[in-house]
Amino acid sequence: MKSIVLNTEEIRKRFGGVHALRDGSIDVRSGEVLALVGANGSGKSTLTKIITGVLTQDSGLVYYRNEPVQYHNPMAAQKAGIMAVYQELSLVPSLTVAQNIWLANEALKKSGFVDDKAMIEKTKELLKLFEGTYQSSLHPEAYVHSLPPDEKQIVEILKAISRNPEVLILDEATASLDSKQVNRLFGLIDKLRDEGKGLVFVSHRMDEIFQIADRAVVLRNGTTVGEVLISEASENSIVRMMVGSESEIIKETDLVYDIENKDIVLEVDDIRSEKLDGVSFKVFQGELVGIGGLRGQGQSSLLHTLFGNNQYAGTISIFGETIDFKHPKEAMRQSVALIPGDRASEGLLLIRSILENFHLPNWKAYGKPLLKINKARKDAQQMSEQLQLVMDALDSPVSSLSGGNAQKVVIGKWLLRNPKLLLLDDPTKGVDVGTKSEFYKLLINLVEGGTTILFYSSDDQELLGLCPRIMVMHDGKIRADLSKEMLSEENLVAASMGATSESNNHKDL
Amino acid sequence: MSNPKKLNIGAWWKKLNVKYSLGLPLVLLIVTTLLSFLFQPNIFRPNVLSRLLTSNFRTWLPVLLVTIGQAIVLIGGGLDLSNGSIASVGNVILALTVVSADETGKNVVMVLAVIVFGILAGFINGVLTAYLGLQPVIVTFATSYIYSGLALLMLPTPGGAIPRVYTDVYRNTSLLGIPISLIIIGIIVLIWSIFRNRKYGRFLYAVGGDANAAYTTGVPVTWMKVSTYVISGLLAAFAAIFYSLLTGSGFSDSGGDMTLSSVTGAVLGGVAMRGGIGSVIGAVFGGIVLGNIRNIISSARINSWARTLVNALIILIALAGPGLLNLFRRKKFNERNKS
Repeated sequence: MKSIVLNTEEIRKRFGGVHALRDGSIDVRSGEVLALVGANGSGKSTLTKIITGVLTQDSGLVYYRNEPVQYHNPMAAQKAGIMAVYQELSLVPSLTVAQNIWLANEALKKSGFVDDKAMIEKTKELLKLFEGTYQSSLHPEAYVHSLPPDEKQIVEILKAISRNPEVLILDEATASLDSKQVNRLFGLIDKLRDEGKGLVFVSHRMDEIFQIADRAVVLRNGTTVGEVLISEASENSIVRMMVGSESEIIKETDLVYDIENKDIVLEVDDIRSEKLDGVSFKVFQGELVGIGGLRGQGQSSLLHTLFGNNQYAGTISIFGETIDFKHPKEAMRQSVALIPGDRASEGLLLIRSILENFHLPNWKAYGKPLLKINKARKDAQQMSEQLQLVMDALDSPVSSLSGGNAQKVVIGKWLLRNPKLLLLDDPTKGVDVGTKSEFYKLLINLVEGGTTILFYSSDDQELLGLCPRIMVMHDGKIRADLSKEMLSEENLVAASMGATSESNNHKDL
Repeated sequence: MSNPKKLNIGAWWKKLNVKYSLGLPLVLLIVTTLLSFLFQPNIFRPNVLSRLLTSNFRTWLPVLLVTIGQAIVLIGGGLDLSNGSIASVGNVILALTVVSADETGKNVVMVLAVIVFGILAGFINGVLTAYLGLQPVIVTFATSYIYSGLALLMLPTPGGAIPRVYTDVYRNTSLLGIPISLIIIGIIVLIWSIFRNRKYGRFLYAVGGDANAAYTTGVPVTWMKVSTYVISGLLAAFAAIFYSLLTGSGFSDSGGDMTLSSVTGAVLGGVAMRGGIGSVIGAVFGGIVLGNIRNIISSARINSWARTLVNALIILIALAGPGLLNLFRRKKFNERNKS
């Protein structure tokens, strides 16, 4: 057996009330590639960030070469020989490729001046590792902000490799690379493995894990649940470990959906954009369709494309009409509403009254010839009753509401426009349990009232508990369209990892 | 390759713009300098030019120094709204204590005290913003009132007198026709260019460009940020010393105008408010441009009541310019993409 170069024992980490890690334990062996596998929120990123000193754990120990270590910043971890390639890149856009690769590791002349020439030469050497897989725009003196995503990722990889690490963590390093580039990277990983380095490989692509890894550790809900040798594992066995034996899904509803005699509300045909790679589907009137998958596979982008925020190729028809929204305003006019998941952009005016916030996008409807404040007040009152808003009065400021109630105002202000198609972009991220269940009730009420809802959530349990149909996205495609007997956590997880076995049965409507 | 010389100029201009963002500042410097010469009769008599250079730069030196400090803070991703107030405190200390040319020892100590105060004040700004993560605008706006309050407390009404011996040295010394104020600027730019080309410079631009990325790469971000405020405080102290030598007296709000001028000068010089972009030499150009504009306004016989307005308009255009330019570029870019 190969020797362990780095291991973690029972790492715990909490963010506020949320346990990101309960028991993160992994063993990284030199000369081996360890795949770190888990669904959204399983704690992969948190664990890698603790190892590299970006975050500090609440308890538990990291051992490096059998010594307990505690890195308080990335600098210390790097000095010890632990490097990471991050998915959310650690490049400075306003610096050049060479400056980025050698940042905090500059070649210096004897006088202490930065030796640019030497660094440019060394960068050229490094770029040869990926020669032929990138465009001529990638050269040592190119500014990073001018590079396309795949080339940025290459720079990020080269930066890590240039530091000659003992332990290298690759966190979704292949996400934006094409197959040629991935092969080149795997060649590099093979070389590092032969040199006896310890490698950790995080990926949402099951085929890559089977191609490059020697061993896999599975995390579930912040806990290490098992370790397998890849040579002895199958995609199914790993998916089963990710899902677990005891199902924790609480059904919020026994909503069944019957598509017979229903109109098609939304039909999407082969839309492509920067993040979407040929997405097609149909949604029927009154459907509650979940969109799942690991984070960042194009889910948000899909919703924003439907809302007219992104440029795309392909056709979208809503209520039978082909549309091409240039601006969200046009989407709103067609009774489409998008509720963003990002709290900062939810657009609540905290110090203003609930009434004003409700009507922020709607004043026009009450404006002619004079402001019909009484009608506006009546409608707002009705909405607050429909939402079961707990408040003093319509005139109290939004800041007097609890978090969950404030979120209801966000939704209510769009509901007042009577949307027929509601797009939800991970709306329950970081919301407490009580608020969530009220939110689910609201969605069910809306669907029963005839509203069609597309609901993206990064929480698998939530989707499974609520939606009679879930579309799973992977690498900008809809990997599986699950409903009825196909709708299971195993199929959802398998599809979100791009596993080929069971998830391939695209259900035809 | 038919016209290699023209090509070279194009490449040189592009490099100047992209790598150093100095193109526009250089053009502004030349244009405003020529314009200000237009208002000077007899400019081509050697003595006149030399005298003009001397009088201009000795007036501008304090502002140019705080502008350099501001540029360094801005490049590092911060903002220092207290540099003028730090200069006020320095000026008041000197006006109150440096009263006799006979007490050389004491005077040297007081000058050192002003420098120590500048460093300390900058350090406080840095710790509050970088360590506690507070907004630089709010922190330095607040500390600016603390520092200027301190100045007012020490010297409620303008007064004090710096010995003539000292002020004359500052006003009249020159080397090979170059006034001492310009030499000081040169020395500081030179010292900075040394830092700029060592690890420190690389770290500074990385921190201003993307502090998170720099941190995960192993750059000591907090320490870098603190250091920029310390440098700004130090340069404000130098500004105080030369302001005192320029006016020979003390005034509790002597640095009041310097703060906004330092931001404007730096921005005119190609330093981006969002950090990571620009240069110190550009900031010096920007400061000189601002000085030129003031001179043009005053010699163009613009009514004195309109001067403030014109001045403010120019500052607004300078600050809003980059944003407007971006807006224009984006529009063009979008149009090109559509067609």
